[in-house]
Amino acid sequence: MIDPFLLEGLIKILFVFVLISAALIISTRNLSSVLTTYTIQSFLLALVSFLLYLMDEKGQLLLLAGLTLASKVILIPYFISRIEEKIKIGRDLHFTYLEPTTSLLLSIGLILLSYVFLSRIFEDLSLSKLFFFGAVIGVSLTLMGMLVVFSRRKVITKVLGYLSMENGVLMFGLFVTEIPFIIEVLIIIDLVILVMLTTILAVGMDSSIEEYRQKFRKLQIWTGGRYL
Amino acid sequence: MNTSFLLFALLNPIFALLAAPLYMALIRKVKAYAQGRKGPRLFQVYYDLRKLLHKEVVYSSTSSWIMRFTPYLNLSALLIASLFVPLLFVPEPVGGFGHIIVFLYLLALERFFTALGGLDAGSAFGGMGSSRSMSLAAVIEPSMVVAFAALAFVLKSLNMHEMFALTASEVLPLSPTLVLVSISLFIILIVETGRLPVDNPATHLELTMINEAMILEQAGKNLALLELAHALKQLLLMGVLINTIFPIGLSTELDSGKIAVSAVLFLLKAGLLAVVIGLFESSLAKMRLFRLPAFYVMAFFFSALTILIEVFA
Repeated sequence: MIDPFLLEGLIKILFVFVLISAALIISTRNLSSVLTTYTIQSFLLALVSFLLYLMDEKGQLLLLAGLTLASKVILIPYFISRIEEKIKIGRDLHFTYLEPTTSLLLSIGLILLSYVFLSRIFEDLSLSKLFFFGAVIGVSLTLMGMLVVFSRRKVITKVLGYLSMENGVLMFGLFVTEIPFIIEVLIIIDLVILVMLTTILAVGMDSSIEEYRQKFRKLQIWTGGRYL
Repeated sequence: MNTSFLLFALLNPIFALLAAPLYMALIRKVKAYAQGRKGPRLFQVYYDLRKLLHKEVVYSSTSSWIMRFTPYLNLSALLIASLFVPLLFVPEPVGGFGHIIVFLYLLALERFFTALGGLDAGSAFGGMGSSRSMSLAAVIEPSMVVAFAALAFVLKSLNMHEMFALTASEVLPLSPTLVLVSISLFIILIVETGRLPVDNPATHLELTMINEAMILEQAGKNLALLELAHALKQLLLMGVLINTIFPIGLSTELDSGKIAVSAVLFLLKAGLLAVVIGLFESSLAKMRLFRLPAFYVMAFFFSALTILIEVFA
């Protein structure tokens, strides 16, 4: 049996690395680095889940760790790296509304905000500090992923932002609500399908959404509400 | 004044002064290896300094007392700062020595006078370097203050001697907040010592120079003193980082055996850090000047996060 204090310390350090990876996803401009960061983030989550299993010894947590490892560390990054090869763009340099500097400053505010709200909600529940901390990080991760979806121009980074949002949900689920295993599986299947669809659409996806729409219009697949 | 502090005041600056140029050389060596060159010998930097110390100083005809005064002031400011960062052993605190705000101001004083010295010679390069350095300082200094505030907050003291006595005495010092604040300290170390991706210490290109532009007009003995001051600044910031994240072996009592062990360990740990810095520098390209705030905001982000986590978790 491993000392629970040591485990708790390790999990807290992993939290810190998860936050660092979220900050990197917001600010990195190199597409393959964003993907690597996402893979590392998912790996960290699998590790957190495994450490929680060592603490609680619930089989479900071990399954979750394995599932995360298989889908988010191996399968999804593999698909996305295939897309990256196809679309032949290495970097996402354009941001809408927010530059990474502002996004990072804003995400400090978001973390603070999620702390304040969660502390009100969980006032009555006697949640241990570690679990409360995990919940705050989970919600912040979701909000930071939202910032990525919001501020990035390229579709592929938007998808990665969405995936990192889902990582936040998983984190929140691990520490607070205990999402039933079946729902977690469904979410992951959803993600895999999302990423596969993106792969199929990847042919036209060497650009931002606006240009993509124009391409669609040119091929008369989708006219954006107007009939040509 | 107690004997422990007197001995510290004697040993620590001398050790820092002797060891500082070595890490400049080591980083250069690592970068050379990364580029497939052999690079100069490790001790070359000491020979260079000795050569410069024996050379005549030439002043530009427009320069004033500032140019003559800056090298001495910079080196003395950093020698005083070296009393704040325990490298060999942690003495009993005396007066204001070790106060974190004084430490920050000593670094700011050095930066300010380097910029003035750059302007003083009246050359276009110096002025450009000073202007760049000051505009970047306006952005990095808030991050630096927040990072050191976070460090003070985590270790519950404003005195660096007390802080590092605490980190050195704990068995498992790796707490999440210390990891976070160390990342900020690493970014500050890179920025303050003018390394890639902020400034390239190896070139004299008009487009990239910041620190080199400011000392371009300095010659002979003065240049040697400025280079020494720069190396000392690097070593002290490395010392702060090492004492925060990896303080194993730092002696907290006055014992010759333990001090010797902690000196050897410090040399090794600083060597490791220098290799990390060298590899970090080799793996990055220089950033555009206007993209640098994004790099600094990382330091700010992690320090602010440290304070948040420390308050809430």
